[in-house]
Amino acid sequence: MALNDRLFGVLMLVLAVAYGWGTTQFPEPFGGAEAVGPETFPKLLAVVLALTSLYLIVKPDPDNAWPPGRTWLELVIAVVVLVAYTLLLQPLGFVIATTLAVGTLCWRMGAAPLRAYLTGLVSGVVVFLLFTYALDLPLPWGVLSVLEAD
Amino acid sequence: METLNYLLDGFGVALAPHNLMFALLGAFLGTLIGALPGLGPANGVAILIPLAFTLGLRPETALIMLTAVYAGAMYGGRISSILLNIPGDEPAMMTCLDGYPMAQKGKAAEALAISAVASFMGSLIATIGLILLAPLLARFALTFGAAEYFALFVLAFATLGGITGKNPVKTIMAAAIGLMIATVGIDNTGVQRYTFGVLELYEGVDFIITIVGLFAISELLFFIEARAGGGKSEIVINKLKLSWKEIVAILPTSFRGGVLGFIAGVLPGAGASLGSFISYTLEKKVLGRKGYFGEGDPRGVAAPEAGNNGASSGALVPMLTLGVPGSGTTAVLLALLISLNITPGPLMFTQNADIVWGVIAALLIGNFLLLLLNIPLVGIFVKLLSVPPMYLLPIVTMVAFVGIYSISNSAFDLYFMVAFGVGGYFLRKLEIPLVPIILGLLLGPEMEKNLRHALDIADGDWTVLWNSGLAIGLWSVAILGLILPYLVGPMLRRRMKAGTETRD
Repeated sequence: MALNDRLFGVLMLVLAVAYGWGTTQFPEPFGGAEAVGPETFPKLLAVVLALTSLYLIVKPDPDNAWPPGRTWLELVIAVVVLVAYTLLLQPLGFVIATTLAVGTLCWRMGAAPLRAYLTGLVSGVVVFLLFTYALDLPLPWGVLSVLEAD
Repeated sequence: METLNYLLDGFGVALAPHNLMFALLGAFLGTLIGALPGLGPANGVAILIPLAFTLGLRPETALIMLTAVYAGAMYGGRISSILLNIPGDEPAMMTCLDGYPMAQKGKAAEALAISAVASFMGSLIATIGLILLAPLLARFALTFGAAEYFALFVLAFATLGGITGKNPVKTIMAAAIGLMIATVGIDNTGVQRYTFGVLELYEGVDFIITIVGLFAISELLFFIEARAGGGKSEIVINKLKLSWKEIVAILPTSFRGGVLGFIAGVLPGAGASLGSFISYTLEKKVLGRKGYFGEGDPRGVAAPEAGNNGASSGALVPMLTLGVPGSGTTAVLLALLISLNITPGPLMFTQNADIVWGVIAALLIGNFLLLLLNIPLVGIFVKLLSVPPMYLLPIVTMVAFVGIYSISNSAFDLYFMVAFGVGGYFLRKLEIPLVPIILGLLLGPEMEKNLRHALDIADGDWTVLWNSGLAIGLWSVAILGLILPYLVGPMLRRRMKAGTETRD
């Protein structure tokens, strides 16, 4: 089967059409239209992408195996951890957010939980101290701000 | 003579104490990056760019440090080839052939030392080549008009997949996607394109975020999928016993390898992998029966190592003189240049002479530093091989987060990075190459500017794009770059594969 490439080809074809259509929506540049406007280059790109997508639909490469269901779950967990890390970086502060994020990732990748979260804590503290004191680039303190001197 | 003066000025820049310090740091980090499992050179350099920014380094210092990282990564890649028979990066593949057998015979330390010497020779020859060739090419490139530049960019994309590339159509597709991302934002006539009214998109998509997302985050996901979290057991290497005679014996081989590698690095579409392959194959032919290749011949270690280091320095020639990188890592270095507000290309040699020559001098110095680092400290780098990716990759990801966050303090950028990481995972699964996307993103604005210039001058006449002999030449090479992979690609790939598989 060569479904992946075909599917991707169709997706990209849709993108090419949408992108190409987008060029017609640009406001006219100040000073009137010229021989080459803001739409010229994108139109060219839309054509190139459309042609290559068609090629892929007609002549797809063989599929690579997708991971089994459980691995998908792990991948989704990893992405969720990264999003949560971003979300919690400010409110929880760098050290706690890092301990949780790095710890969870290490754990899910196969480390023993205690060692995993310890790795997270140590790496978080080291990077935090390095950035805040050695490099003078403050990272968020978050809930630990009570510890912040002055 | 002029070149020599510039070079001396360059040494003045590179030998300034803080630049020297950062070169040493870069060389060390580079070898580390090359040696650590799951951190390719492009990936490693990409993660370090935001850090170079946040440190507020001066342009030449930042560039010197990251060039040293680049050179160091090529050294580091060989360690796991020799000890584990697993190439640290693709060009180090050929080093496995004789390096691993040497290690099995209890000569791991010798193989590592020989490869360090050969790497040094290869880089040295190629850097000298760079010093001689780059100013000439830069002067020649000054004659390029807008149409020629447009053709040159097309050439760069067409040859990026390399002669050995699998599917040139996917390369072009990836380039188109990258160029499309580059059109997001306000263009140079002040028109908003594809911003959808999102304020963060007005200035376009930041390529550093894209690069770090595509490389670093997708790498994490790939490791999770491969379930390759466990570390390798620690390796003990023997005590080094290497005589001068043995070193001298590999010098001719290293010389040939370095020259061939340099040529492969400069030419579009060849690259380091092909450089090391050609060097190895040629050496086998030259020595014939006198060698015992594939069974642990030291020259079989020296040839590909000199070749791939020669090629990686050679690859800097088109990047510095034309602003057109030929490999993933040089593309990342180009990203650094652009974000430092230095316009790469022939003018850089006159406008930013101190930076260019400082970097070239730093390459020479970096080579000596790397040789000095690599022979006594190889034990440390060997230990790193056993660092389990399950600890390493989460920490690397965190460093990538910190780097991006410290540039802008914006969560939006981090979400963007994660999104690019997920996208990169799917693209890699579909074997859509990531480097053309990055290159498209980097070259997009210049490419469009040159297209507009050329067409404006010609009043919208498209034939202007292939109106000069030079432009026609560039287009022909571009078309060849797309056709050759179909003609000779399968044969070359088979040979490279056959070459590496005879061992197993």
